[in-house]
Amino acid sequence: MNVYLLQIVNGIGLGMLYFLLAVGLSIVFGLLRFVNFAHGAFYLIGAYLAYQLVHWGVSFWLALAVAPLAIGVIAWLLEKALLRHVYDHPHEFHILITVGLALVIQEVVILIWGPIGDNVDVPSTLQGVVIWGSFIYPKYRLFVIGFTAIFALALWWILEGTRIGSAVRAGSESTETVSLLGINVFRILSLVFALGAATAALAGVLAAPIRGVDPFMGLEALSVAFVIVVVGGMGSFGGALIGGLLIGIIQSVMSTLWPQGAQLMIYVAMAAVLLLRPHGLMGRG
Amino acid sequence: MNRRDLFKLAAVSAVPGALASRLAFAAQPIEFGCPVPASGAFAANGKYANLGMQLAIEQYGQAMGRPLHYTLLDTEGKPATAVRKVQELAQGQGARFFAGGILSSAALAMGKEVDKLGGVFITTAGADEITGSECNHATFRWSVPTHGAIEETVRPLIETMPKAKRWYTITPQYVFGEGLLSAAKKVFAEKGIEHVGNSYHSLSETEFSGYLTNAIAAKPDVLLLLNFGSQSSAALRQAVSFGMKRNTTILMAWASGLEQFQSLGADLCEDVYFGAQYWHQIDAPLNHDLVKRCRAAFKSNPNYSLAGSYICTKIMIDAMLKAKSADPQAVIAAMQGMRYAGLTGDEEIRKEDHQVLKNYYLLKGKAKAKMKDADDYADILHYGKSFLPVAQTGCKL
Repeated sequence: MNVYLLQIVNGIGLGMLYFLLAVGLSIVFGLLRFVNFAHGAFYLIGAYLAYQLVHWGVSFWLALAVAPLAIGVIAWLLEKALLRHVYDHPHEFHILITVGLALVIQEVVILIWGPIGDNVDVPSTLQGVVIWGSFIYPKYRLFVIGFTAIFALALWWILEGTRIGSAVRAGSESTETVSLLGINVFRILSLVFALGAATAALAGVLAAPIRGVDPFMGLEALSVAFVIVVVGGMGSFGGALIGGLLIGIIQSVMSTLWPQGAQLMIYVAMAAVLLLRPHGLMGRG
Repeated sequence: MNRRDLFKLAAVSAVPGALASRLAFAAQPIEFGCPVPASGAFAANGKYANLGMQLAIEQYGQAMGRPLHYTLLDTEGKPATAVRKVQELAQGQGARFFAGGILSSAALAMGKEVDKLGGVFITTAGADEITGSECNHATFRWSVPTHGAIEETVRPLIETMPKAKRWYTITPQYVFGEGLLSAAKKVFAEKGIEHVGNSYHSLSETEFSGYLTNAIAAKPDVLLLLNFGSQSSAALRQAVSFGMKRNTTILMAWASGLEQFQSLGADLCEDVYFGAQYWHQIDAPLNHDLVKRCRAAFKSNPNYSLAGSYICTKIMIDAMLKAKSADPQAVIAAMQGMRYAGLTGDEEIRKEDHQVLKNYYLLKGKAKAKMKDADDYADILHYGKSFLPVAQTGCKL
């Protein structure tokens, strides 16, 4: 198979993971207008929680369900106890409190697990590669593509086809109006924040067998998530999907065309989108 | 009171002050700096390097009646930050002795700065330039440069596997990676190896699937990883997940040591070849001593970052004791040409370029079932000393 075709397939795999990483950040910003610099930290603790569970002998599949739920609950509590109190303040307060939270989480991870990264084994059923002619691809990465696609559909259905989703979408337009309709807006805000953190944690769990875990993985994830949100458009589910896939494919294809600039090109792509469509590919002005 | 009495009084009154000042001077510590990345992608290496300097400083305690003291400086792996931190410690606490660097770009910048400050700097960084074209009077290097690392890994592996003719390289694009790649290309050309491709990547890269896709498409016999630390771990982990162990031999030319094996685990490391500056199982008296000290202090075996920082600090203290002076110029003179029993056997500091002549090791990861203890991840297959003659290094001190 042509190397560029291989890179596109690989880019889709990367992009699906990027989508998962960014969608929570995007939805939280869309509804809460809240800049969450702790999003990468939820990805980090999701990955470490899965690592710890697997280390204790718990099945990876159970960790895949438990870790995001646990992080969602932690995020719910944090939102109620801490973040809710700064929603009405300028963005500088959001940045200050979430950067602080991210640093605390990172240091706690170092305290508990140490500064050195570790490996998370790929579940035994997904070890090995799929070979199709000259196409060779890890089974686990194919699973990530499929799983994320199903998860994206389910999330889309929740946002578009359920009463809660309607409230979330309405809330992103006007929280006051939703409140006047008798809906508990604060509960919706908490729920969305927890959902955003849980999706970041899910991305962390899925990424752990691919890239291992280390205490600085949250920072790296955060920068990619912001690029995708900017490219796709803030607050847009579709934007996160398109942005994630676009960035993944650009990064992967550039690994062949201009390897040393592969990472740089994702920021060039972001700059280009900002110039041509300042609100992102799917964002609204 | 006549003039003679005044002088007498002045002399008497000056005695306690002079004594006090002498005593104060005697108690004034000799300051060391440990400039290493304590945050960011290479933080783990920096944190172990900190322990290595701590161990050496605590072992000696004092030199010439003056206590030894050190300060950890977080360079964040950035040359500008590293230089600023070195300047601050030199100006604030009068430190003139520095051991650290880890990353070549930061080490090169710090070496120049310490030279300006009239101090001594010893590093474990890899770029040839450190004791080559950009060498200077203040800078020493314990680790084997990129030339030796390739000579002692790529060459013996080619000899072990003469049929493996197609090699693919993955290289970080900065001085260290360029040095390894350039040295590898020379060996390839000499040995008739086909270099079927190279993928450069940035220093912040963690996703290697794109580069590995290039590598798989080139159908190499050997994948040569020329990156370091967490990047080489990520590249190896992803190469194994892409099934490259099936039909490709993997060589990581510059492994960061025991902590990397612990992080990757035995299954990933099995049958992979690693180049190493240091391994805790090296049979040398000083190494046995360090292993004992390290187990007593930290309940673990020493890794490369710890051992490198330990020996660099020890070399400076031993040179101080040899020179009977903490004057940096006297210490530099004592270090030049110094021979000592080192962690890798007999080691010598070459006077002409300040390069320590020591062994470099080729290891092979062993199966989990064959490990004799928790840290017995690899066998030493080969070791040796390979250094360019001074005339070819480009160093003019």
